Amino acid sequence: MNEQREDKLTTAARQLATGIRPQRDLWPGIEQAIRTPRRRMPWYAQAAAVVLLVGGSSGVTYLAVKDSFGPTVSVSPELVFERAAFGGDYHLGPGFQAARNSLRAQLDAELGRLSPEAQQDIQANLDVIHGAIIEINTALEQEPDNALLQQKLLRAYREELALLRRVSGLTRNVMIRNDI
Amino acid sequence: MPALLMLETGDNTGSMVSRTATAMTQEAALIARARGGDTRAFEALYRQNVDRVYGLCLRMTGNVSEAEDCAQEAFIQAWNKLSRFRGDSAFGTWMHRIAVNAVLGRIRKSKREQDRIQVVAETASSPASMGDSGELRDLSDAIDRLPEGARHVFVLNAVYGYSHEESSDMLGIAVGTTKAQLHRARRLLAQQLKEQGFEA
Repeated sequence: MNEQREDKLTTAARQLATGIRPQRDLWPGIEQAIRTPRRRMPWYAQAAAVVLLVGGSSGVTYLAVKDSFGPTVSVSPELVFERAAFGGDYHLGPGFQAARNSLRAQLDAELGRLSPEAQQDIQANLDVIHGAIIEINTALEQEPDNALLQQKLLRAYREELALLRRVSGLTRNVMIRNDI
Repeated sequence: MPALLMLETGDNTGSMVSRTATAMTQEAALIARARGGDTRAFEALYRQNVDRVYGLCLRMTGNVSEAEDCAQEAFIQAWNKLSRFRGDSAFGTWMHRIAVNAVLGRIRKSKREQDRIQVVAETASSPASMGDSGELRDLSDAIDRLPEGARHVFVLNAVYGYSHEESSDMLGIAVGTTKAQLHRARRLLAQQLKEQGFEA
């Protein structure tokens, strides 16, 4: 090893530019982020919020649809977060993926049958659930073997599935009412 | 305080110290205002520090878009953590610590490092070398081709002048590891540059 060359290397390194101007102004993105701060709830609080929001807004949706189509038509199932019929505790099997994709396709096709308010309500709920899923996945990247996080992730997926099912039920009932 | 410093030192040095002291006072005022939620003050801090923060991110990542993302992330985190800045170190040093964390977090998360090396290997000149001139560009390019660990230590220690203790603290590794990585980096750089006929 040539020590003289290394010394020259060190001297040369000190002459390298330490400040480099970005090719674009980064401030607008920073400003946008700090002016609209994300309130990052802990994941367990998010999970609780998901349950409350889904349950509460489903009730509102139920009432809205019920009022608009008459009192005799029952349009919403009970707000029960039933266990989805898929896989083991920590692995989302192909059955779940198929059910989710199918319900998601139904949702996209049938969402238009609901009132704009109900659509917004449902989308808001889905956004909350998707936000929770992203948060939990981020945490899982740091702790991939954390069983509690895996359970929370599975629960979030179940809640999404349950919401999709309820929406599907809502639209089916609306169709029945229209047929009458 | 600036006037006092000028009296205690010679004309030129005093003037320089005075300007430094004034800049520090202005920076402290901006930090205080930013802590109170003044985004204009924080923008001024951004303007003062962005080149050094972005420069560090660019030299550590070797990728323009990732460096931009890391620099933005660093300033957003700085805004959120501003209440924790106690002035134990210079604001610029504190920003560098956050920037290094942003870079390391991003690398851990994305695992794009291998792709980046392949892209750089095919590129004639690295983005970081744009800030340099002449034969220093060769050195900059060679740094960019270093393995990740050696590059990070070399950039912090040799380019930005941080001590082994500071570098190890920023990178979350042992001091002995930074020394070993620096030695490795210098050896690899010397080899690379010798092959290119570069005599520093």
